Amino acid sequence: MKNQVLKLKIKKQLIWYSFLIVSILTLLILTYIPMLTTIRYSFYDVEVVGYGDSQFVGLQNYQTIMKNASFLKSVKNTFILALLSLVSIPLGFILASLINNVKWKSMQSFFRVGYYFPNIITGVSVVLIFQVVLKTNGGLLNDALSFLTRHDISIGWLSDSRYSRFGATILNVWMTLGYNMLINLASLQSISNEVYEAAEVDGANALQKWLYITIPQMTSCFVFLFITSIINGLARFTDLFIIGGNTPIGSPGGTLQTILMYIYQFSFETPRYGIASAGAMILFLLTFVITMINLKLTGFFKEK
Amino acid sequence: MKARKIRGVVLVAVLIGLLVLILMPLFWCISLSFDRKALTALPAFSLIPHEPTLFNYQVVFRTIPLMRYYGNTIFVTCIHTFLAVFFALTCGYAFAKGNFIGKKFWFIFMLAVMMIPFESRMIPLYVQYKNWGMLDTYAPLLLGACAYVYGIFFARQNIEAIPDSLRESAYIDGASEWKIFFRIILPLSKPLIATLSILQFLSNWNSYLWPLVVIKTQEKQMISVGVSFFNAQQNDIYYGPRMAVAVMSAIPLSIVFLFLQKYIVQSIAVSGIKQ
Repeated sequence: MKNQVLKLKIKKQLIWYSFLIVSILTLLILTYIPMLTTIRYSFYDVEVVGYGDSQFVGLQNYQTIMKNASFLKSVKNTFILALLSLVSIPLGFILASLINNVKWKSMQSFFRVGYYFPNIITGVSVVLIFQVVLKTNGGLLNDALSFLTRHDISIGWLSDSRYSRFGATILNVWMTLGYNMLINLASLQSISNEVYEAAEVDGANALQKWLYITIPQMTSCFVFLFITSIINGLARFTDLFIIGGNTPIGSPGGTLQTILMYIYQFSFETPRYGIASAGAMILFLLTFVITMINLKLTGFFKEK
Repeated sequence: MKARKIRGVVLVAVLIGLLVLILMPLFWCISLSFDRKALTALPAFSLIPHEPTLFNYQVVFRTIPLMRYYGNTIFVTCIHTFLAVFFALTCGYAFAKGNFIGKKFWFIFMLAVMMIPFESRMIPLYVQYKNWGMLDTYAPLLLGACAYVYGIFFARQNIEAIPDSLRESAYIDGASEWKIFFRIILPLSKPLIATLSILQFLSNWNSYLWPLVVIKTQEKQMISVGVSFFNAQQNDIYYGPRMAVAVMSAIPLSIVFLFLQKYIVQSIAVSGIKQ
């Protein structure tokens, strides 16, 4: 009898585990083990796995990479590009505020969908389109600027190393503006009307309402967008890889090589897994710190 | 009252103007893709092709196996989405309603993965698949789908909200947990399934780096990578064909978006707020 109860209990346990087992194994084999391997590689002198001797070298890979000018440059590029891309958040907020003020409901949802549309365009297509739009001669942007200023403007937005980061940011903002608008708008609309009405009774004007109600209520939304934008920025790869003509060197002049492109270069083009893994660890640590800050700010730890 | 109305009209007008401006690159791209003049030189800006033609599209179809790319991408995207959403729901159900030893441990086990970016484990993962002889197959693109961590949390939150009474009455009738899952939980989770599927579909269609790394045969490639290689080969000339290929790779998602815009916009907004 006791045995049977135990059996039933075990069976119940096993049933619940049957719901989880596939995901647990997947994470173990495809996430945890590879992550631990990255940590291991980063301390070994590994050129290509399986060829030659792999020797424990301690922090040598980290020392090499921290002294490597092109790695440091890629870190710098990554942060500059990530910070420049942040401009999309305030733009998205302004756009959302404008759309939120449209009284006509059907018009409002039209704008919501219309402005979001660029975000749906496949990333690769966006790059192809902007390679033409941002072209030095005959590109749409330079033509428009020339028309507006009545001067002949021929800026190499994607080919001149002085402007390439701005060019890459224009492209990025075009892609992400709709997303930022959408999240801001959803957040704006979740602020209850009662707060505004109460403020109106107290005689607050539009600016005061915006300053003392809207902005504080939007803080968590801004934090969320800020963090996601930075994390996406740290792992930026696709658009810059294509702009560089399907190479990870970050042309023009290496100004667009991000950390991930550097890792790619030393993983798949001129393989030096030890170095690449040290780079991957640095990328991981940066992401980890930012995620932790995010969890702290959003009060995740308190909740649990 | 009148001033207010005028202000409203002005606002709408400004927003329409701005929208047209933002979408201008797309209009131009479409126009270029149908322009015979855009083959070797970039013609002046015009929303109507100077010499309308389908030639650019013919060039594209002759140079790259575009239909194959579509097929590959749709195949991988659909299977990936199905696996990801299904296992997200099973795990979400176990974490929401289950009562078993180690629940908290496994939950944190999955939670922690959110902090491990894919990029930082890419090299060993590549080596692993290489050792298993799975490079240049779709296995590396699909197996990871079986643990969709964000989806698991999202599913847990949603399934928690389903009242226990439904489950209990089925339980008294002798239904097993899996039966309850299929008969009660899944039908009640349709909005959840839709949201997760949309998020998965969008991110899969755009995946680039991983297919670039693991797929070597051109015919097996995903559309994003295939198109970017075509683009790199035609660098700086052949504007028309490049725009044609940009249009072709953007069309499937755009069509999906036109039909499901309401749900897609909602899914994205919800995914942003809930996080």
